[in-house]
Amino acid sequence: MEINLRESGEITIIDLNGNLTIGRSEESLRESITKLISEGRNKLIINLGNVPTIDSSGIGAMIKSYNAVKQSGGQVKILNPSRLARQLLSITGLLSILDTFDDETQALKSF
Amino acid sequence: MQRSAQLRITSHFGAERKLTLNKSTFTIGRKAENDLQLLHDTVSRQHAEIQFDGESFFLVDVGSKRGTFVNGQRVQRIALQHLDKILIGGDEDQQIQFLDETVSSASAIFDSHSHLNLTQALSDRMRLISANDELQKLSRYVEVNQAFKFSMTPDDVLCLIVDAAIEITQADRGFLMLRNIEGNLEFKVARDRDRNWLVGNDFEMSRSVVEEAFRANHSIVIGNQTADLRESVRDLDLRSIACIPLRSFQMTENMDTTTVFKRDVIGVLYVDSHVLRGALTETSLRLLESLAFEATKSLESVRLMHEEQEKKILEVELGTARQVQVALSPTIFNHPAFFEVAAASVPSRHLGGDFYDLLVREDGTYIFVLGDVSGKGIPAALLAAMSQGALQAQFLGGEQGLEPIITSLNRVLVQKSASGRFLTLFCASLDEGNNFTFVNAGHNPPLLVRLNGDVEYLTTKSILLGAFDFASYKELTTQLAPGDVVVMYTDGVTEAVNSANEMFGDERLEELIVKIRDCSADQIQNTILDEVSSFTGDLPQSDDITLITLKLRAHSAG
Repeated sequence: MEINLRESGEITIIDLNGNLTIGRSEESLRESITKLISEGRNKLIINLGNVPTIDSSGIGAMIKSYNAVKQSGGQVKILNPSRLARQLLSITGLLSILDTFDDETQALKSF
Repeated sequence: MQRSAQLRITSHFGAERKLTLNKSTFTIGRKAENDLQLLHDTVSRQHAEIQFDGESFFLVDVGSKRGTFVNGQRVQRIALQHLDKILIGGDEDQQIQFLDETVSSASAIFDSHSHLNLTQALSDRMRLISANDELQKLSRYVEVNQAFKFSMTPDDVLCLIVDAAIEITQADRGFLMLRNIEGNLEFKVARDRDRNWLVGNDFEMSRSVVEEAFRANHSIVIGNQTADLRESVRDLDLRSIACIPLRSFQMTENMDTTTVFKRDVIGVLYVDSHVLRGALTETSLRLLESLAFEATKSLESVRLMHEEQEKKILEVELGTARQVQVALSPTIFNHPAFFEVAAASVPSRHLGGDFYDLLVREDGTYIFVLGDVSGKGIPAALLAAMSQGALQAQFLGGEQGLEPIITSLNRVLVQKSASGRFLTLFCASLDEGNNFTFVNAGHNPPLLVRLNGDVEYLTTKSILLGAFDFASYKELTTQLAPGDVVVMYTDGVTEAVNSANEMFGDERLEELIVKIRDCSADQIQNTILDEVSSFTGDLPQSDDITLITLKLRAHSAG
């Protein structure tokens, strides 16, 4: 999985490209987010637009990220989850906690 | 006359090195401790010795598997003669020849006299030596690389790296330090050029060079050309130093993920000399760096291999533990008056985190528990067992309802599950009035299929367990009626994949249950398992499959 970072003011958009599944990809996401927080960047949007598959470990990575960001006083939002990802977020109850958007401008405005 | 002798070792592509037989017992074998280490797999760990009794050199086989040979004859103990050819095991890659110095130096004098132009001969020879040196280093490097393929302990690998580094640089001493948990460098290997271990925890060496290589992550070479003014180097009277950082790296092998290199410095390789034995050439430095690279890679794979073995043993043990756990899942209410139930867990090849439980509380209500811990392997299995135990204790030892029990389980899991694992859980109680009360914490909603074929998904939209300490859990109650079927399942059922990479899916499951809803709980369960199994065909089951099927008995005539 590729991780690319874009900045929009004090908000960082994390563009993920590839599957967010057990192993390296979910570790990479957690590492990137830990690094961003250490740099004081804790207003984050995780863009799932190019993530075809998420498994339970991927969900785990998002939970860890959410908790870490929240602890640092920041916020994390989810952008463009696939139908499958949205279903998974819904079943696991995460939709009630993670703000989810289908439009980047809306997501940026929500902070 | 003082006797002295050497072994001349010629590798299969011509590189040559000589080892002086300067001790009473010179050892040969595959282990790093040997004076001559041979890495061929026909060489025993301790294979042979050359013993000197003050007069003669004896080659002695010390109980090798594949034998020791001199001039083609297998030997047990033999006095070596000048130019004897020695074969250790079946290692034909290295030609070993015994050179009796007393004889050869005499012939050398004779040889040199026969040359008309001694100076010319010498300078030719110097050029040859220098080229041969590089070749020898390369040969050593290749040899070490091959050694890494054997199953060696990490300590063996480290020792080999240092010996090779000393040889490549012709240094006096070599050290290998690795970063410990606190992030400080710790000595792992300290050896001299005669392959003796240096004793102690503190050695006189240039700390500033080591620190710089470690912190700045680059190689440092100090020789005669570089006028390095470091005090430590001058004070210690060190004439040449080479220090190479050891870098760890990881590579993903997935097709759909980019290759990731990690370049953390995990330690340093350091060699130094009090005398200058010719400055380090570019080639030797490059070899040294390649050596460090290969070494770290091999170290990592050796480490992983050992971990893998330990993990396998643990998995077998835990697998047994889980079979016990599954076997313990009570079947005490196989035939209650008003409902029937079937439950099964089919573990995948990997150790997974599914669990289920069926309990009867003191007040006569029945409890159904179905959980799935995220991830696989030992941590998942442990967390599953812990969760099952905690729930059993709560349901059987007290009178609390579902909401407080699940809410407190969540808090326990948030505290215990540091690794980011979580649990999705469906938990329900059924009383004699057919009230079915449930909490669904992030789990695939069970299917309730009514007698008339209507389908409901049982969800309370509660969040999964073990993720957020602030989460609270609400229960819902639905009234069941005779003939109703409830199928609780883990995602191993719906996410089972066939050869076309399609998932079994919710819809297929729903259609199937509606079709067979008139069957018994056992029949429904077995049909689902059969259908999933024939759907996936020969593909290995990738996740645990766990099912609880509950069916309210139709009104009996009485």
